[in-house]
Amino acid sequence: MKVLLIGSGGREHALAKLIKRSLLEPRLFIAMDYRNPGLEREAIERNGMAYIVNLIDPMAIAKVVEEVSPDLIIIGPEEPQFHGVVDALREKGFTVFGASRRCAEIEKSKVYARTLMWRHSIDGRLYFKAFRSIEEAKKFIEFAGDIVIKPARQAGGKGVKVLKDAQAYLAKDRLEVKKNYVEKLFAEMDSYKDIDYKILVEQRVEGVEYTAMVVTDGETVLPLPLVQDHPHAFEFDIGPETGGMGSIQGPGWLLPFVTFDEYRKTFEIISNVLKVLQTEVREPYVGAFAGQMMLTGFWGPTVIEFYSRFGDPELSNIIPVVESDFLEILDRAANRRLSSVKLMIDESIVTIVKAIAPAGYPDNRKLASGHPVYIDEARIREIGCETLYASVERRADGKLYTKGSRAIEIVCKGDSYEEVYKKSELAVNFVYSLDGHPLFYRRDIGSEELLSNRMRIAEKVRTVYRSRVANGLLGKMLVWIPGEGVFDNPLISFVR
Amino acid sequence: MSGLLTVYAFDELWSLPNIVRYGLIALQHRGSQKYVICLPSNGVKCIEGEDIEISNYAIDHLAVLASYSDKEDNIFYVESDNDKSIAVIAERSWSKIYEFTHELLNEMKKGESSLEAFKTTILAFNKEFDEAIPSLQIITNFREVIAWRNFHGLTPLVLGSYGFDMAIVSSESIAVDILGGDVKKFLGPGEGLYMSRYLTKSFLIDKYIDCGLCLFEMLYLARHDAIINGVSVYEFRKAIGKELAQYLDKEVDIVVGVPETALPYAIGFAQKIGKPFELAFVATGGRRRSMLLGDPFEKMVAIHLKMNPIKSILEGKRIALIDDSMVTGATLKTVSQILRFRIGVRELHLFIASPPLASICPFMVMKLDVQNLLAANLSNDLAKSYLEVDSLHWLSKDNVNQVAKRFSLKFCGKCFGVDFFGG
Ligand SMILES: Nc1ncnc2c1ncn2[C@@H]1O[C@H](COP(=O)(O)OP(=O)(O)O)[C@@H](O)[C@H]1O
Ligand SMILES: [Mg+2]
Repeated sequence: MKVLLIGSGGREHALAKLIKRSLLEPRLFIAMDYRNPGLEREAIERNGMAYIVNLIDPMAIAKVVEEVSPDLIIIGPEEPQFHGVVDALREKGFTVFGASRRCAEIEKSKVYARTLMWRHSIDGRLYFKAFRSIEEAKKFIEFAGDIVIKPARQAGGKGVKVLKDAQAYLAKDRLEVKKNYVEKLFAEMDSYKDIDYKILVEQRVEGVEYTAMVVTDGETVLPLPLVQDHPHAFEFDIGPETGGMGSIQGPGWLLPFVTFDEYRKTFEIISNVLKVLQTEVREPYVGAFAGQMMLTGFWGPTVIEFYSRFGDPELSNIIPVVESDFLEILDRAANRRLSSVKLMIDESIVTIVKAIAPAGYPDNRKLASGHPVYIDEARIREIGCETLYASVERRADGKLYTKGSRAIEIVCKGDSYEEVYKKSELAVNFVYSLDGHPLFYRRDIGSEELLSNRMRIAEKVRTVYRSRVANGLLGKMLVWIPGEGVFDNPLISFVR
Repeated sequence: MSGLLTVYAFDELWSLPNIVRYGLIALQHRGSQKYVICLPSNGVKCIEGEDIEISNYAIDHLAVLASYSDKEDNIFYVESDNDKSIAVIAERSWSKIYEFTHELLNEMKKGESSLEAFKTTILAFNKEFDEAIPSLQIITNFREVIAWRNFHGLTPLVLGSYGFDMAIVSSESIAVDILGGDVKKFLGPGEGLYMSRYLTKSFLIDKYIDCGLCLFEMLYLARHDAIINGVSVYEFRKAIGKELAQYLDKEVDIVVGVPETALPYAIGFAQKIGKPFELAFVATGGRRRSMLLGDPFEKMVAIHLKMNPIKSILEGKRIALIDDSMVTGATLKTVSQILRFRIGVRELHLFIASPPLASICPFMVMKLDVQNLLAANLSNDLAKSYLEVDSLHWLSKDNVNQVAKRFSLKFCGKCFGVDFFGG
């Protein structure tokens, strides 16, 4: 079977690892936009080859596809979906695993995702308001309270500002930041010509985050085990937003801080969203889909955003866990024959993924780019962990250089968090900077301390949302403005 | 003793004057007479002041600061050499602060990273001098900050954050709360955080010194709403109050605490014996920590302002009076005079929520002078007569030990004449 994998990063390396052990004996071809040494190697090992091509150019990709003539095309990242790559290839009659442009709108536009949930009254929705013009946004923000400001378009795990505002004595300072940030974000979003709304302001919530990924052929929805990502750049959940500095999974389908009921509710939300999405766009959703969730006091399982693809680094946790033939599952989904398929996993193990990034990531990619690194993969394997190559390229001199994002992911597995944590802490030592430029990773990920913190927070929000259920207030937030009335809208500030 | 605070905003959109001000206000109970703010500004500069409530400085995205009492000197120091400037703020008077700053700068000039230079200098000072190194905050003109908790773990240091935007480090969880942040971690002894715009990481200088938390942190210094090493200060104080109730051997009508610190002890005590807890005194003006004041006259002024009694509830009653500790007895003498002469209470039974203080603090965390310690100089009978109380009871060392164990805490007990409580 000839498989063409499209994408260049850590998630695609994870996909390659999942695919290559298939009994379908795939020949693996890869289209990527830089020379990812990991992907290149997987392609060669599986009797295929790697092409360097602009992944958001449907024409250029079509050329590669025609040359390879694959039985199955797997799309890793979201940007090719947004640019119509999937549609172009399907039109040519190829079998593609990946969301079409219109289906992928649910990730591309956070406004669309939220609107869809409101239009169909799907649980776990948050209050929001979207803006096309800067004037309108700035006027609104004057009276906005405890909010989050986001780019309206998926911008690669960047640009979200969480502005807790429950202290009147600091409200003025935060308002300044809100206003300036709105301006800055509008200027940045100007370069995206494929959206009408530029930013959205939404209700801020608190809780524990987790990702719920599924594979779907448009009818059957096949859940993967839950995974938790860590978006803050630095240890103990401090510092700027990143695409994810690492993730934990297991044991089994749940995470230690998510109950079975919450797990069920989560996939109910996801199935409902998939249903109404397909009705609205009048196309089947074929590919990977995920809810980036937060367990909150407001709703219980709450949607932060959706992915029209697998999570990165979340998919990496899945590598050691899946027992079924993953390629077969993707192939059946792409051919719309997923019903009756079961995903088998090793329920006894847990997994920890740690990303290693060059200093400068995420806010100064230039500073983070172009640094030579060396990875002692053999030593990492000895410890029992796997190495995934992400934002790192092989240059003509044969050496590996950082490209500004998370360079390496280390995937470890074992019987308990304690054991796997130890392994992962050992393994990260075998990634070296060759020019003295600092690399960093998060030591706290997978630690007992962080895990028990999460469990404590989950317990707290559980108490809150259960009492909201009892009082008929789940998902509701009333605000009374004397003289004006009672509003169901938490975006309004307490000082006017 | 002072309250340390670091605020590091990763996004340049923030400006910090107000945030710094409220952060310091939140730490005023750890010393309110003075403050210092160090920030990068054409090198590094430190601003000293006295009334934080009216301060207004241009502070952009990062600053290290401290509130401290007028008893303290050698709290901070700035030094520059060519293109390198650093400021060091210590958590209490530290006679070595000048030498330390100088050595650290020297080490940094060798081309080491600031963090490595810091570690090297700390280890050198730890070896060379007996005096315990206090918790420290360092800021450099390269916009780096190091906040480090002392090896002894005598005082806490808490790490917090605000969204994706800010790291906050403080002596007490209160400051993180007041700034709208979330407490993320209670740093262990020798643990610290290195912060810079593109790289922030925790570190540990591994030099185990078995010492324990200063008991006064829990007894007196921290606010009731603080969390220390994961333990609620309020709950700890209530538990101590309950323990203290076992020494009651006479009938009393009401339970009263010396404001402000002793109120939770009195509440715990009252709940245990099933008698009403009453508010007995109302303070005038802002809250001032009498024990942290250096000038004896100022100290008296602060005590007197705190103690206007509610007469009707006290008159003719048999009273259990609770206080967290007794150092010189000056506060309690004042209180007993008020209760006796101005009110006319029937009986006054005094309960102290800690054991008698026996010696000075070898770490200089508490500024105690043996000749002023009531318990070290007066017999219990004499003390009773001096204070004009009908009975005088102290919590035993054993009692403290048990409560500490219940909360899984370990305290330094040197000034009480033992090495540790709990553990
Ligand atoms: N409404 C919200 N309340 C609180 N935190 C939020 C909210 N929305 C997003 N966040 C935080 O910001 C992060 C990024 O937001 P997200 O919507 O996932 O954008 P991105 O596309 O940048 O990943 C989330 O992982 C979460 O930590
Ligand atoms: Mg996200």
